[in-house]
Amino acid sequence: MKADRLRRFIDLHAWLGMVSGLALFVAFFAGAINVFHHELHHWQESHHGHELAAGPANPDHFLQQLISRFPASADRMYFLPDEDPGAMWFQPGEDGAAGEWRTAHASNFAEDGSFTQQPGSELADFVNELHYELGIPGNGGLINIGMTLMGFVAVLYGVALFSGLIIHWPKIRKELFALKHQGNLRRYWKNLHNLIGIISFPFHLIMSVTGAAMGLFTVMAIVLGLLVFGPQLQGVIQKETDVWPPVQSQGETLAMAPMADYLAAANNELPGMDVGWVEIRGYGDAAGWMDVAGSQPGFLGHHVHVVLDNTMKPLRISAPGERTFNFAAISPVYSLHFGDYGGVWVKLLYFAMGLLGSLLFVSGNILWCERRSDRVGPSRSSAFLLRLTLGLCFGVVSGIAFSFLVSKLLPYTPWAALVASAERQIFWWVLVVLVLWSLRASPLRFSGLWLRIMPFLYLAIPLAQVAVEGSHAWQEPDALLVNLVVVAVAACLWGGRAQFRKRLRLAEPHPLWVGKVTRDHPKHLTETELENQGAG
Amino acid sequence: MRALFGVLLSLPLSMMLIGLAAAWVPVPWNSWLVLQLIIGMLLWMSLSLLVALPEKAWPPLVGLLVANGIVWATLQTTGIYGGAA
Repeated sequence: MKADRLRRFIDLHAWLGMVSGLALFVAFFAGAINVFHHELHHWQESHHGHELAAGPANPDHFLQQLISRFPASADRMYFLPDEDPGAMWFQPGEDGAAGEWRTAHASNFAEDGSFTQQPGSELADFVNELHYELGIPGNGGLINIGMTLMGFVAVLYGVALFSGLIIHWPKIRKELFALKHQGNLRRYWKNLHNLIGIISFPFHLIMSVTGAAMGLFTVMAIVLGLLVFGPQLQGVIQKETDVWPPVQSQGETLAMAPMADYLAAANNELPGMDVGWVEIRGYGDAAGWMDVAGSQPGFLGHHVHVVLDNTMKPLRISAPGERTFNFAAISPVYSLHFGDYGGVWVKLLYFAMGLLGSLLFVSGNILWCERRSDRVGPSRSSAFLLRLTLGLCFGVVSGIAFSFLVSKLLPYTPWAALVASAERQIFWWVLVVLVLWSLRASPLRFSGLWLRIMPFLYLAIPLAQVAVEGSHAWQEPDALLVNLVVVAVAACLWGGRAQFRKRLRLAEPHPLWVGKVTRDHPKHLTETELENQGAG
Repeated sequence: MRALFGVLLSLPLSMMLIGLAAAWVPVPWNSWLVLQLIIGMLLWMSLSLLVALPEKAWPPLVGLLVANGIVWATLQTTGIYGGAA
């Protein structure tokens, strides 16, 4: 490839990476933890003041109590079979107020049917929101702003990936073995960035395409509807992606069978299915139905649905090998993105790839800042971006650690009722303080200090749980897994600190890091520029 | 800036190209709608990359604009807009 064309691809890659890098860092770091979303839900449960029930609660009794207290839940709810069964439903607002999605568990109901709901931690949901919408609220309208923004970021990320592949393809073998401490700090960052990018390219391609598909589904449907298929597209999408049409109630009621019978009927239709949840439409209505949804292990597109009517007659089965092409295509999109198709080892691989991805975006931004400073001389914008990158990245990592600590410790204080709000607020406060701090401080000192603090923040999380909940921290498998994950994050941060110190011993830092870029600072040339000089 | 305009102009073009494919492929377009979205996404990313090829910024952007017009006109010759699934 011609040198000037290669240079344009490098510029495109750098520009796209710079625009999307910070958002991607947040998405990847939160996403790496969010791989264990289900386990985190269990980890966040407080054991303070909760007496363990003698045995599993009766799901049918719970459903009766729920529908009696919240009649709207009978129209449509997601039922979660568990020892403490739960349900999620949309509760319409009163007097024209906006409604909201609510959740309740059997343990929220007393024997006399009275309902009390203790405010609990929402850490897993918060980490998930950071991952897919950067914590930007706004789920009310047609378009979710945060999610759509992340969809666009995923597209830019995909273009950056392709341009990176074009840049590195000719020298891919050489770069696989190029990570050496040779005295040049910038070369080290560059080699590290290239190595991670090359090794994890397939993972990143999957993330960009599936992330963009999920984030921009609404936007693309609007564009397709306007330009290609016309207004009937919306109805077609609904028809093609809904498991069964909405209930057309005739007002005829029906005595419901026990939930265990519906689950057994679904298992009879699809032996070996692992039930995740049950979508109930029209509970007690003769026209109602239930979608017993879950997973069939051993398949990439493992999502399955068994739709039964309220008399347990099967209406539809959607499983690997017996589903429409649209369902067959959409299932791998989700499973490839969430890494839930291959057990705990695949999840750990996704976790590692997520952390490596975070490092990819930090190193990319640092490279851009140093490269720009070297090429065009002292630059306020590159100094600003370097400081912003460090402040935001350390702020997100530290903020999430503080959210974990608040989630675990606050329920054992008189402010337990504030836990859901406090674990969000502490994140934003830490983030803002660290960004402001980084803009004022020397990047080298700031990085040195926070790389020293952050591993201890993550180590403090399992210790905090041991302190307040004792053996729950290692006796419950999900809690143990989450604790091991945060210890792994601490170990990675410690490794990052060791590398940082090693580089400082071996090489003089780039002047941007000590806040001293002057006109006399010698320019470093890129390889392409050096090659051009040599040719000249 | 050329990258930004490239990304914006590539979106309708990729969606309309997918629409053309849906019109030509002899299976009902609604039966592979999800795959169309995924291919459209990959096409969008690939087309956005083209803006880095020429030396000057305007030829690829004008090219994308013209291509949008041509594909839109071609799409009108098919019965896919407003057609039954």
